[in-house]
Amino acid sequence: MDPKQNLKKLRDVSMDDVVRLLGHRNPGEEYKSIHPPIEEGKEPNCPIRALVTPIDGAKRGDRIRYVQFTDSVYFAPISPYQRAWMYLSRYRGLDTGTLSGRQIIEMRERDLEVLAKEMIDNETFDPALTGIRGATVHGHACRLDEHGLMFDAWQRYVWDDKKKEVVYVKDQVALPLDRKISVGKPAKLDDLKKRTTIFRADGVDMRDDKEVTMYGLRIHKLRTLGGYQPYKVKGI
Amino acid sequence: MAKEKMFMAACKKKFKEEPTDMYTKYYCYGGWKQSKRKVEFVEAANKIAKARGIPMMNQDIGVPLGQRSWMPYQLSHTDMFVEPDDLHCVNNSAIQQAWDDIRRTILVGLDSPHQTIERRMGKEVTPETINEYLEAVNHTMPGGAVVQEHMAEINPALVYDSYVKVFSGNDELIDEIDKRFVIDINKLFSKEHAKQLKAAVGNTLMQAVRVPTIVGRIMDGATTSRHAAMQISMAFITTYKLAAGEAAIADFAYAAKHQSLNMGTMMPARRARGPNEPGGIPFGFMADMAQSDRVHPEDPGRAALESVALGAIVYDQIYLGGYMSGGVGFTQYASATYTDNILEDYTYYAIDYIKDKYGGFCKLDPNNYDEMMKLGDNVNSYALETYEKYPAAMETHFGGSQRATVAAASTGIAGSMATGVADCGLNLWYLSMLQRKERAGRLGFYGYDLQDQCGSANSFAYRSDEGLPMELRGPNYPNYAMNVGHLSGYTGIPKAAHAARGDAFTVNPFVRVAFADPSLVFDFANVTKEIGRGGLREFKPAGERTAIIKA
Repeated sequence: MDPKQNLKKLRDVSMDDVVRLLGHRNPGEEYKSIHPPIEEGKEPNCPIRALVTPIDGAKRGDRIRYVQFTDSVYFAPISPYQRAWMYLSRYRGLDTGTLSGRQIIEMRERDLEVLAKEMIDNETFDPALTGIRGATVHGHACRLDEHGLMFDAWQRYVWDDKKKEVVYVKDQVALPLDRKISVGKPAKLDDLKKRTTIFRADGVDMRDDKEVTMYGLRIHKLRTLGGYQPYKVKGI
Repeated sequence: MAKEKMFMAACKKKFKEEPTDMYTKYYCYGGWKQSKRKVEFVEAANKIAKARGIPMMNQDIGVPLGQRSWMPYQLSHTDMFVEPDDLHCVNNSAIQQAWDDIRRTILVGLDSPHQTIERRMGKEVTPETINEYLEAVNHTMPGGAVVQEHMAEINPALVYDSYVKVFSGNDELIDEIDKRFVIDINKLFSKEHAKQLKAAVGNTLMQAVRVPTIVGRIMDGATTSRHAAMQISMAFITTYKLAAGEAAIADFAYAAKHQSLNMGTMMPARRARGPNEPGGIPFGFMADMAQSDRVHPEDPGRAALESVALGAIVYDQIYLGGYMSGGVGFTQYASATYTDNILEDYTYYAIDYIKDKYGGFCKLDPNNYDEMMKLGDNVNSYALETYEKYPAAMETHFGGSQRATVAAASTGIAGSMATGVADCGLNLWYLSMLQRKERAGRLGFYGYDLQDQCGSANSFAYRSDEGLPMELRGPNYPNYAMNVGHLSGYTGIPKAAHAARGDAFTVNPFVRVAFADPSLVFDFANVTKEIGRGGLREFKPAGERTAIIKA
């Protein structure tokens, strides 16, 4: 959550491969525009526009495209809601939405590609327990397969038994890739249990974290009183 | 020894592995062919496509189904297993009939028309004339004619489910009425509940009118009052030998249309539904329709769970899933609350905890807020950690919204039962939602950020536009209009409070008595069993058109 904290880079998937995984354009293909570059346009005078520096893709008129990650309940490094907090504290010009298993980011295309590469390369991504999925996203709560991989009805990624690593054979909307893309070896479960941000009964139980529990209850109580008997909220 | 979890039988039937195993195999089960229903559907779709010359449902389109082991679903507190397709409201005639029976019901008082007859027309109303009227109205309500000699009537084989019965809190009056027309409070309810209900109903003589199922299906819920009013007026005309054109007749129609009790209130024009449509049914009414505590008064847990099931099929599956959304997506979300005994397990855990900790139901002071939060924290943690300890349960509720709702429902039911106050239950629902987000780092779906993350603040509010007592909230309460998967649990919360208190009804004694009627097609005392019968194709619905279709 702290933007000053550098996230550990664990792999280096090439930008061309990231573009292939996203499936919005082919590597090397021009970005499609939905409006002329801002500098060429005739935008109405607006004080907010004067305050906010547009991100690169906005300047150039890129389409808004998406990347979506699915995080397994079985000790994936990060959970969907924390992704939202993390993105919003580290990046500008994005829109996120959190569900139960997945988290979508929408952004101007060229900026999205940079963000997507960072998120695939860094410690928030595990090849077995994080999925890059634009559609048919369920599987986060299913048991793991015999190789420890999160279920994916489209089998966008498979286990390479020779190299003992995970390779993508389809892009995020399950269109076959023209070549396999390796995302590396999954982390060990013991390591993930230490790293994950998810509370679990068989990992770190939320009730053992007194501070989180206390704040959760406090927030609920204050909201309840605030909407019902605000005069009782004293000494906070 | 720890108690065996109530969902074990379902999990063992679903998966080969132990319910605690975290690993399994996928992509090896034969796809959709492992499902008997899907095979049946494919064969039917192929035949239809061939016959009509237009492509139809085709399993090669979209995601390949059946990549996991195909799970059957156990109807909670029954031994019935069905496939998920069997729980879709379009495939399940019992689910449809539950809604049909609600939509075709209107309660129309007889006191006002009797006053018109006696005071305005100077005619006598006696038990004999009432019996004569009831015979007449049971002729007119299904579609019989009485006034004109050259009149079209409705084929009785289409409308065998249509009738009118009466009930009252006045035993002496009821004793004078032909038993074939009576919903007998004394026979249908326990002595204590009958006493409460009779006191609440008073001397009023109330008609429970069931218009034909097929009428509701051709028109809509708003027709129920109109059909009832017209046929009631005709019955008065013939019974009391009135002139069809005299001004006083308008009083009967007026009373039937406007001094009557619809099951659902009118909704705003943007929802485009009339009265007696599911979006207007308050949770307290739905809780009163569910009759488990009438036949099992010793088991408030079952009462709450059966209300949840009724709420799930009518509000979540038919209303939000059909009326408001359309399509096929809502079945598995909603059915999680009434299948596989998972919510059962959490609810009975809460009941044991409440009895153990507070010495019984309704013994926790609702003003002791810190203790209430401790209760919520305990029950919610139990629910969430059970999913974590039993991956089979986690996979059974593979959508996070299913888990969020089931955990919150059990926590809410616990709050209701411990205090006897439904609003306390609702408050703990929201505690559950906040805690789940912190614990799992997940929401249910995108919209949970609105409805569930801000609900604590309105849970005790009564002021107009800010809140309502839980009993009177409903699907049209501002924040609940798009809350699929919530409305089931919301129905269980007021029921839990009043069942725990030993109340005979949740909010409306008239609705309560009307749905105790054994002549209804759907048995509201055994909701999950009826859904199971529908899934197994054992349920016989009304409203079928066979009688007018060439064999």
